[in-house]
Amino acid sequence: MNGLSYPDVTTYAVPFFIGLILLELAWIVRKQRKNGYGGRYEMRDALTSLIMGAGSVIAGILLGFITYGFLMFLWRLTPLDLGTSVWVIALCFVLDDLRYYWVHRFGHRIRWVWASHVNHHSSQHYNLTTALRQTWTGTFTFMMIVRAPLILLGFHPAIVLFCGGMNLVYQFWIHTEAITRLPRWFESVMNTPSHHRVHHGRNPRYLDANYAGVFIIWDKMFGTFVPELDSEKPDYGLVHNIGTFNPLRVAFHEWVGIFKDVTQRGLTWRERLLYCFAPPGYSHDGSRDTSEAIKKKHLARHPEDADTVGFKDCGL
Amino acid sequence: MPLEILGPMVVVGIVGIALLLRYLGLAEPFQLTGEHTRTAWLREIPDDVPKQILIASNRENALLKLASGKLGLVHVMGADTMARYLTDATWQHADTALTLKLDDFAAPHFTIALAPQEQAKWASLRDAP
Repeated sequence: MNGLSYPDVTTYAVPFFIGLILLELAWIVRKQRKNGYGGRYEMRDALTSLIMGAGSVIAGILLGFITYGFLMFLWRLTPLDLGTSVWVIALCFVLDDLRYYWVHRFGHRIRWVWASHVNHHSSQHYNLTTALRQTWTGTFTFMMIVRAPLILLGFHPAIVLFCGGMNLVYQFWIHTEAITRLPRWFESVMNTPSHHRVHHGRNPRYLDANYAGVFIIWDKMFGTFVPELDSEKPDYGLVHNIGTFNPLRVAFHEWVGIFKDVTQRGLTWRERLLYCFAPPGYSHDGSRDTSEAIKKKHLARHPEDADTVGFKDCGL
Repeated sequence: MPLEILGPMVVVGIVGIALLLRYLGLAEPFQLTGEHTRTAWLREIPDDVPKQILIASNRENALLKLASGKLGLVHVMGADTMARYLTDATWQHADTALTLKLDDFAAPHFTIALAPQEQAKWASLRDAP
């Protein structure tokens, strides 16, 4: 079954991506003419996001063989083969979403992985073009390792990659402010625009929350779920926003930051390693803030927020 | 999808969306006021309150003197803003523009349209104790 293949759903979805972006834009323009609000677009921001998306596809074409080769290597090792039935694909989709949750969580908690993922959060807008602001350097995070259990359990690499593509396609439509809330049953199980707006928020309350891809249940199970509050609109972007629309700088700025930090004079090897693998915001001299420090400083300024959502177990 | 279809579709899509946004007037830069500048700074660095603010005449950049005594820059990024300390910035003056160079790959330099009189005011705020 080594020759098994499934369609690359992310590329087949490109016409739908373009169509939905135009639809969202038309909706926003119409809404704003009625003095309402349903999101924002800005030309250079959107252009950067779209170029990042195209670059991500090119990076996939150029580097995809590394992940595929690794997964096929594991496939030859495993004695298990679950086959290709619809139920196997459905089970793989759910388990792959659990895989996505952890990769995404690592992406926010390990600077080496954050260096790849940061560009997705570098827009200060939250619209459907933001969904396409994807990494060019994901291969170098080596997070394909997290797919290993699925292959070793007997899911064929082609099925695992197909489910990963479906996962990404699902996540496209949740990058919008045009949809406020969906029915309660849907919000309780699925990742939605509301849940994912929280994930993109740079507000201290919303940092390191809602890592889900398709099913929000993982965040609820692992204690990272924070609901969107009507009283606190997400402020999109990075804690310290970047000052460039240049896609090359967007793609590589955190890698350059790691290199500069690691090559500083006078550091111990432990400190150099921590600059690579500690949570973003780590510094050997305490000159920067991690998300925990940002939350604590916020609570020092706003003690009334203590023990409210997003600030539980903050140590104050 | 074959590359000969995907490639042109992506290029036409990107160019088309960019042109549409420009046509809709969604390419106009944000214009700073004093209150915007203060809010934009505190949004990123809430622990260091602005004491003095000088806004460039094109209202896309502002120089700030902060409570810590450091200098800061608020720069318009399309419809949004970003903030940076200018602690180690290099200042390069030209006839109609000031270029600030930072040791920051994500915010490497800012060329700010400033008349000579404005540049003198910025330098004066920089050198003030």
